[in-house]
This record gives sequence, structure tokens and C-alpha cells, in this order.
Amino acid sequence: MTTSTADLDAVIRVRDVSVSFGPRRVLDRVSLDVYRGEILVLLGGSGSGKTTLLKQVLGLMKPATGSIVVKGVNITSCTRAELEVVRRHMGVAFQAGALFNSLSVQANVALPLQELTELADSTINLITWIKLWMVGLADVAHLYPNELSGGMRKRAAIARAIALDPEILIFDEPSAGLDPIVAAGLDELIVFLKEILGITILVVTHALDSAFRIGDRIAMLYQGNLIAVDGKDRFLSNTHPRIRQFLDRRPDAVGGGEEKFMAAYLRKFQ
Amino acid sequence: MVLNVVEQVGRPVIFWIEDLGALTLQLCAALWRLPRILPVVGTRRRWVTALDQMLSIGVRALPMACTMSLCVGFVLALQGAAELRRFGGLNYVVDLVAVSFTRELGALMTAIAVSGRSASAISAEVGTMVVTEEMDAIRVMGLNPVDFTLAPKYLGALVAVPCLTILSTACGIFAGYVFLAFSIDMSFRIYSHEVFEAILVRDMLLTLIKSVVFATIIVQVGYLEGLRVKGGPEAVGRATTTAVVKSTFLVIVADLAATCLFYVMGWSAVG
Repeated sequence: MTTSTADLDAVIRVRDVSVSFGPRRVLDRVSLDVYRGEILVLLGGSGSGKTTLLKQVLGLMKPATGSIVVKGVNITSCTRAELEVVRRHMGVAFQAGALFNSLSVQANVALPLQELTELADSTINLITWIKLWMVGLADVAHLYPNELSGGMRKRAAIARAIALDPEILIFDEPSAGLDPIVAAGLDELIVFLKEILGITILVVTHALDSAFRIGDRIAMLYQGNLIAVDGKDRFLSNTHPRIRQFLDRRPDAVGGGEEKFMAAYLRKFQ
Repeated sequence: MVLNVVEQVGRPVIFWIEDLGALTLQLCAALWRLPRILPVVGTRRRWVTALDQMLSIGVRALPMACTMSLCVGFVLALQGAAELRRFGGLNYVVDLVAVSFTRELGALMTAIAVSGRSASAISAEVGTMVVTEEMDAIRVMGLNPVDFTLAPKYLGALVAVPCLTILSTACGIFAGYVFLAFSIDMSFRIYSHEVFEAILVRDMLLTLIKSVVFATIIVQVGYLEGLRVKGGPEAVGRATTTAVVKSTFLVIVADLAATCLFYVMGWSAVG
């Protein structure tokens, strides 16, 4: 079996992953590579399956078929101990931050260091301060998550995600619920982290402006299928009707149009 | 018709078997990870979290548990006196209150108070963590959610509930004294002498065993219901209600089972 250079560089390799919830197929034989040092943006509308794919990559769900290899470990068939080791190379910034509300921002960022390393408290404090400084929150380290704005919470989540210097950073809807200025600031931060830390970044979003600002490559999911994985320019010139609709921000016909209505009516009442 | 009845009966039975299986697995996981919470041998500072839980489950529930026991103790003495007076056996009110509380009511009243307070609090906390993806965050950080959330609560309850049971039992017995002091002017010295004559150390030990079982039920049920939350905040509300109902029901069933077991084994004074 030959191995291409691209295969060697793939930090995350998703192959033929299918997921179904009951009769509904959410992901249908999805294959995707995320290369070392790049920012790959996974675009998709609501219900397209992007959060499900994200959960597969994080090992929070197992696919019905297919494999997901992260840093050379097949996380769909590895042991729990192996999965925990892989996860230590990954940092995740969840959509709403997922900060622990009972802990201060400082304690949130220090948590993985306290739990997963043998570092002295003074070293942990120093690392925590550096990470918070990188995301611009060094001055509010003593506050609790419910005292922060939405943008600050996301920054704190990023500080926690990079606490252990991960090789892979994953963002779930980083700009969701933020005003354009704060969202742009967050995009800058993501690019900054990639440039200074050399991290491989996977961003799941539906925000087009953000995707084109930060992404090296852009992938798009539609009804559980990956319909494009391209560089920004090629993606912009893609002629797939759904991509054109997404880029042109054209809505679906309300109710699906007359033909779809008739088909649905006949299915229901005949 | 028959199939329908079987379905109606079978479905809840399957749910209960599923619940028991999930609770057993969860309990095993909690017991396995418990040493990590202990001071010195465990993960650093984790025991502080367990200490917080002891405060939350035990100290903060103290006024409620003690007040409930005082009320029940007083009512028991009052109702008992009404009957026993007819036979000239008012002095047996002391035995009635002391034995009832040391064998049954102390542990049961405490468990019901803790169930109402802590099972709901645990399920709400865990359910909120599920909804806000904090549980996912723990997992993807490579941490074990049992270490981080369940084990400290369980250790806290294992220490707090038996302590609370002792104090609650003392309150119930004291309520009996208050009633007798008012009704027949009994002195505290005589009352306490009668109490120590009536209760057995063995009864107290069996009650403490029961309280450990009750603590286990309350924490495990609260945690499991919290983990099962799917959807938004309204699902958290439903989980808290289910947690309180299930834990209270299971506490009473476990009390019956434990009392029968002690009786059959000949450990209970009744046997």
C-alpha cells in the first residue's frame, strides 16, 4: 500500500463515516483530512451534521461505520486509555464556552494543568497567566464565568483549550451569538494562535465571513454528505447548487414549494 | 387485550431493570474511583471538593432534618401518650420514641430530608453541566467525569448522611422529652436515663448502615437522572422532579429490605 505525503501530514483522518439516529442518516460516508498546521473550516447549515461530525472527531460518539484516525490512533476502535491520551493532544472551545461555573476563570484554565500534569502550583499559575494574557483576559482571571460577556467567555474557553499546548484545536461555532466586532476579534485570535503556536485548527461554523477570514481550506456538509473540500478561491467558484445558495444567502422555498407539498400530501393521506 | 396488559406492565418493568443496571454500574465506577478523592493518597485538592459536598449535603441540611425529626418526635410522643395513658403506661412513651428513632425514624427522616434537598440539587447541577456541554468538556480534556463530579459528592454524602442521622435521631428523642416535660413534668435526668436503658448500640449501628445505603441511593439516583438530561433547561426541571421521586421511593423500599434482612439475620432486637 502506498502512502502519499498528504496522508503523512493528515493529523485527523475521517474515512467513510456514517451515523444514523433511528431511520435518519445524519452522516453518509463522510471522508475528510485535516492537515498539520492548517485551519480547516467545516461549513454547513443547521441540521447538516457538522456538530455530529465534530462529536465523532472528539470521540464523544462512535460512528456506525467508518474510521477516524487522530494522530495515528483510530479513535473508533481504541481503548479508553488510548482515547484519553489522544484527547490530551486536543483542545476544544465549545460553542457556549462550557466553562465550569463554580470555578473562576483562572481556576478553569488551571484545571487541566492541575489534573493532568505534575507541575508545581507556581508553574501552573505562571502558565495560566500566560494563556490568559494570550487571549486578553489576564486582568479578569479572578472573575467567574457568569460575570463575563459572551466574547470573554469564548476567549476564556480558548485559554483553557490551549492550556496543555495541544497540537489540535477545535472550535465549535466560535462566532455564534457575538456582535461583528467581537466575532472579528475572535477570528484574529484564532489566526494568531495558528501562527505563533503552529496548531492544527478545525473550526465548525456556519458564519461565511468568519470562514473566509480564517480558513486555509473550507469543507461543506449538506444533508450528511461532504459536498466540497477546497481552498478558499476554489470553494468560491464551486458550482454546486447548495454551495451557490449558501454563498449567495438565498433561502429555501418556504414549505419546500408546490411539488414538495403535493408529494408530502400524497405520502401522508394516500 | 392480554398483549396490551403485558405491554403496559412490561414497559415500566424494563425501565426499572434498566435503571437498576445503570445505577449498579455507576455505583461500581464511583466506588472504584473513590480512593482518588481521599486526602494524601488521592488526586491533589480533590478532597476539598468532597469537603464542600459534606457541607452542602450535611451541614446545610441540618436545620431541615432536625426540624423534621423534632416535629415527628413530638407527634409520635403525643399520639403514643394518648393511647398508652389509657393503660397507665405513659412511661413507655420514652421507649416508643427512643426505639422508633434509633431503629427507623432517625435514618428515614434524614434520608427523606436529604433526598428532597440533595437529590434534586445533584440532578440539577449535573443536568445543567450536560446542557452547557461541561460534561463533554471534562471528557475531551481527558478527565473522568466520575472523578470530577460523582465521586466527591458520593464521599461527601457517605460522611455527611450518617452524621446527620445521629443528630436527627437525637433531635427526635429530644422532642419526646419536650412533650413529657410539659405533660407530666418529667425531668431530663430521668428521661435520659430511660432513653439509655431503651436503646441498644446494635440498633444504632444498624441504623448507620441504613444511612450509608440511603446516602448511596440519593447520590446515585440524583447523578443518573442529571446525566440523562437531554434538551434544554426544562429537561433539567423534569430531571430534578424524577430524581426526588425515585430516590425517595427507593429509600423507603431499601428501608423495608434492610429491616427485613436484619430481622431474618437475627441482628434486629425484634428477631
